Amino acid sequence: MPDSILYWKGCMSRLRTKSISDSTMELFRRMGVEFATLGGNEGCCGSVLLRTGQLEAAKKTAESTVDRISSAGFKEVVTACPGCFRTMASEYPAIAGQVPFRVRHISQFLIERSPTIKGRFRSMDVKACYHDPCHLGRHMGVYEEPRDLIRMVPGVELVEMKDNRSKALCCSSGGGVRSAYPELSREVARTVAGGQVPAGVKLLVTACPFCNYNFKDACSGQIRVMDLPELLLAAWRG
Amino acid sequence: MGSDDWLAFKREEFKRWMEDERRRTGLSRAVAAYTSAKANALSRLPELEEIRREVRKIKERSIQQMDELVKITMDSVREVKGEAYLARDAEEAREIVSDLTGHGKLVVKSKSLTGDEVGINEALEERGNKVYETDLGEFIIQLRKEKPTHIINPSVHVPREEVAKTFSELLGRPVSQEIPALVGIARDYLREKFCNADVGITGANVVSAKTGTIFIVENEGNARFVSNAPPKHICLTGIEKIVPTLSDAFMLLQVLPPYATGVFMSAYVSMITGPSKTADIEKTIVYGAHGPKELHLVLLDNGRRRMAEDDVFREALYCIRCGGCMYECPVYRVIGGSFGNNYFGGIGLIWSAFTTGDEKVAAAVDACTKCGRCKEVCPLEIDTPRMVERLKQRLVKRGFVQPKHYEIMESILHNGNPFGEDERAGRSRG
Ligand code: SF4
Repeated sequence: MPDSILYWKGCMSRLRTKSISDSTMELFRRMGVEFATLGGNEGCCGSVLLRTGQLEAAKKTAESTVDRISSAGFKEVVTACPGCFRTMASEYPAIAGQVPFRVRHISQFLIERSPTIKGRFRSMDVKACYHDPCHLGRHMGVYEEPRDLIRMVPGVELVEMKDNRSKALCCSSGGGVRSAYPELSREVARTVAGGQVPAGVKLLVTACPFCNYNFKDACSGQIRVMDLPELLLAAWRG
Repeated sequence: MGSDDWLAFKREEFKRWMEDERRRTGLSRAVAAYTSAKANALSRLPELEEIRREVRKIKERSIQQMDELVKITMDSVREVKGEAYLARDAEEAREIVSDLTGHGKLVVKSKSLTGDEVGINEALEERGNKVYETDLGEFIIQLRKEKPTHIINPSVHVPREEVAKTFSELLGRPVSQEIPALVGIARDYLREKFCNADVGITGANVVSAKTGTIFIVENEGNARFVSNAPPKHICLTGIEKIVPTLSDAFMLLQVLPPYATGVFMSAYVSMITGPSKTADIEKTIVYGAHGPKELHLVLLDNGRRRMAEDDVFREALYCIRCGGCMYECPVYRVIGGSFGNNYFGGIGLIWSAFTTGDEKVAAAVDACTKCGRCKEVCPLEIDTPRMVERLKQRLVKRGFVQPKHYEIMESILHNGNPFGEDERAGRSRG
């Protein structure tokens, strides 16, 4: 077990946008990546508690998460949730003490394995746009890896949103906003997608289960929304 | 958990904003105009990169010695025969300005967020004074009895059709919807007020301590009238606006216009050092030649020192109020003036909390996603999301918790997920 990576699903993918975690695991299997999950014992990273000012609960949650992961012996954690990624990789040290494992976003993990995945995709023939999740982009500086992965799929014409990378517009599902003001969250996502996606784009690629959920909800029927692992799996040959 | 009144009214306000097509139209026109003008200005001013970094340092230094600078400023202003006051809170500021103004006076005002912060208009009107806002945007919303929705363009949410309606009510006759004609109406109407006013009230964009100089930056020219035509000029401004020297002030002045409105420099920068004077007859100094005889500088604390004492919140005092981060905020673009209280957007949440109280802004804080875009576009790279998170922690301690957030917290502690689901029941394996 400890030799394999831990695939950390995150609450959102584990319980709401399950297709993202299912796709990620299937992709790993097809790539021959040895991985494990914590299943029903995974728990929460506490990101939302930090964003909503509930510091004591956040600390408690962070400490127990570090404990669960390290006591299972994992040294490498990979997640497709930018919220979990940022919280564990950049905020845990300050609130939970020493973190005896490395945490990476799935795009960083996959890009390292480009030789094994390049050429494994069938052509998709679609004009697509990538939306930078705030936690992944601005907060963690990961901008190019997801783009490079999308470009590996032949036929996908990747164009940019009007504002992108460090200037990308937040879809507003994070930070506790969606739970506090769901209509507001939806309306922001609608205006962001409406005002930022260039003409002719048929597919919006997200790399965050929260953005994915929010855009899908806000733009249903207007644009197809897929998360990065979903896209990669859909394009995987064989 | 207590009552949810603090939440209910904001929820309503957000909803009204989201559903108000006219306001949304006004706001999105302004956002489009602003973003393209700023992009153009910044691309033609590459030197601004270095200047804005320098300004950050100037602000850091100034806030570090804020109390000292207040003293120096007051001494300097008095030395040039002006009067200077330090108001500890909003009430004191209202009293000072009201006493200086008196009763039954005609007052003209140029835009001042600090004035709004302490509620100066209401205080003056209570004493039977007639107060005219002279900034076009402020004039419009004063007539409409609305609240400002942006710190640079207070009436950004009012489209031209609505302005025409308001002006035709004012004049009792139909008016054109053409924007230049609307501007002309305000010009004609206010001209006479400037000349007959007893008191002119302005804010300040920067104050240089060593010389006691007040800087007012504007495009319309109304602040020049306000600070120049009436016999008495009262300037009300926050103590965080002070920088040590004239050179420091000029650095800041180079950053403000491009980030505020996308121009290289604003049409007018008034520098005022003491009241108007002449010594042309027998070298005898007489005050009040063509400009005001009296100059009063009212410096306001009202929570600013508390901000300065805190390692995290201190950064909010570096804000030069360009307003850029508001137009650039995806949430502000949707809920505009309801996102804050007097001060808007992420940075406005901090300012509102310290100057007008936590309760008024507690619910709006939960509309901020902490996405960090404001920091990215801020000329001083102010880390607003970090401050908002810290503010939220303080609010939670004081009981301002969204019921939904509380539920989530309990569920995370008990179920290990925020959705209230018992995962042990249907235990699943990877
Ligand atoms: S926080 Fe920065 S961008 Fe926002 S108003 Fe202040 S100086 Fe301008």
